[in-house]
Amino acid sequence: MTAPRPRRRISRELTRIANAPVDSVLAEIGDSAPASRPRIGVTGPPGAGKSTLINTLAAHRIGANLCDTMAVLAIDPSSPVSGGSILGDRIRMDRIADLPGLFIRSLSSRGARNGLCDNIVDLLVALERHAFDEIVLETVGTGQSEVEVAELVDTTVLIVPPDAGDSVQTMKSGILEVADIIAVTKADMPGAARMAADIGTILRARGDWMPPVVETRGDGTGVPRLSDEIDRHRAWLAEARPHAVSNARRRRYHLRALIARQAEEALSGDRHLAEGALADAYEKLTRKLGVG
Amino acid sequence: MPLDKKRILIAKPGLDGHDVGAKVIALALRDAGAEVIYTGLRRSPEHIVRIAVDEDVDMVGLSILSGSHKELVADVVSRLESEDAGDIKLFVGGTIPDEDHADLRDAGVSGVFTSEMKIETVIAEIERQLS
Ligand SMILES: Nc1nc2c(ncn2[C@@H]2O[C@H](COP(=O)(O)OP(=O)(O)OP(=O)(O)O)[C@@H](O)[C@H]2O)c(=O)[nH]1
Ligand SMILES: [Mg+2]
Repeated sequence: MTAPRPRRRISRELTRIANAPVDSVLAEIGDSAPASRPRIGVTGPPGAGKSTLINTLAAHRIGANLCDTMAVLAIDPSSPVSGGSILGDRIRMDRIADLPGLFIRSLSSRGARNGLCDNIVDLLVALERHAFDEIVLETVGTGQSEVEVAELVDTTVLIVPPDAGDSVQTMKSGILEVADIIAVTKADMPGAARMAADIGTILRARGDWMPPVVETRGDGTGVPRLSDEIDRHRAWLAEARPHAVSNARRRRYHLRALIARQAEEALSGDRHLAEGALADAYEKLTRKLGVG
Repeated sequence: MPLDKKRILIAKPGLDGHDVGAKVIALALRDAGAEVIYTGLRRSPEHIVRIAVDEDVDMVGLSILSGSHKELVADVVSRLESEDAGDIKLFVGGTIPDEDHADLRDAGVSGVFTSEMKIETVIAEIERQLS
């Protein structure tokens, strides 16, 4: 086990980054690129069992010495009314909460609509700079279209509960296409095996990677197999996708996210900006952003 | 919103099993714009302080109905200090007899809220102290 980390310093740094306006990201945060660390994304519908799965997965990986240290970023939605939030993901992570090598940070989506939050790229990089062996990112409970998490992580694990029923049909074009591994959670409930089989019939290979379907339970059953699949995917990725390609995708996501925020800041800072003909409003906005 | 981007941990140390009050406060804080982390029941002071540090909260609210508020507060305060986190504000709510309020304040508590207080008063006081 590595020496205890300066937890308070890391945690203050994360706050500063999460709150940084676009200007400071550009001036001092955005460009640091430490050696990248394996990142696991966990996404899926609200209440599907994402946090519960991270609890057992992290306990397994640290317990089996597959990694010494792990950081978890868990995002929950903000209220569209007050902007506040209840960050409840870590209640489910009680099995790992006291492990010295583990660091969990709960984040609010702060209005972001892609299942992630502002400055998530920089938050992930900050954790890499602190040299955590692995980083896990839990998205907000999502629907079919929040696929951007896959651009930021190495291995995307899609969580599907047995009762997802028709929603699997809608996932067919969308999140199911970018998932590297599917975990059917709550396998103690009726319908899990059926769900796993159904998903198996609609999955398609990407390149020569065929996403495996794993059944898991909150008590940890199935989690060692999931963990193996993550390692197998990681090894496959190292062969199949040069790191430069992942980095280029992350860079494009980062730039888009900054522009979107800048537009949001401009629009909420000046309510006249959106007035008048659409073309004029667009012109005013792009001028304000200094684009074009 | 007055508590925009403020991070608050609502924690339940001790052995009592009621968290209705804690949940009411958590929701009211969210409605005032705060990001609220809730620990769930029966957390040790060690665990609470670790969450407070990792989550970099501005305030910890302890909900205590068991009567052991003095011991629990002393424990949390000393652990916060040894984690270099003595600047995190500490509030206590629950069933706290009047005669104990001054002692708790001396021990480092910034606010004591009893169940008779109106929730608006509690939120307003938290807003004042965190602004
Ligand atoms: N029966 C059963 N229930 C489970 C299992 N895993 C999780 N649950 C329950 O499902 C509910 C939601 O679990 P979470 O882990 O919080 O789900 P989540 O996907 O993280 O939820 P959000 O972050 O709110 O979207 C909780 O009540 C869990 O106890 C399981 O394997 N079996
Ligand atoms: Mg969750």
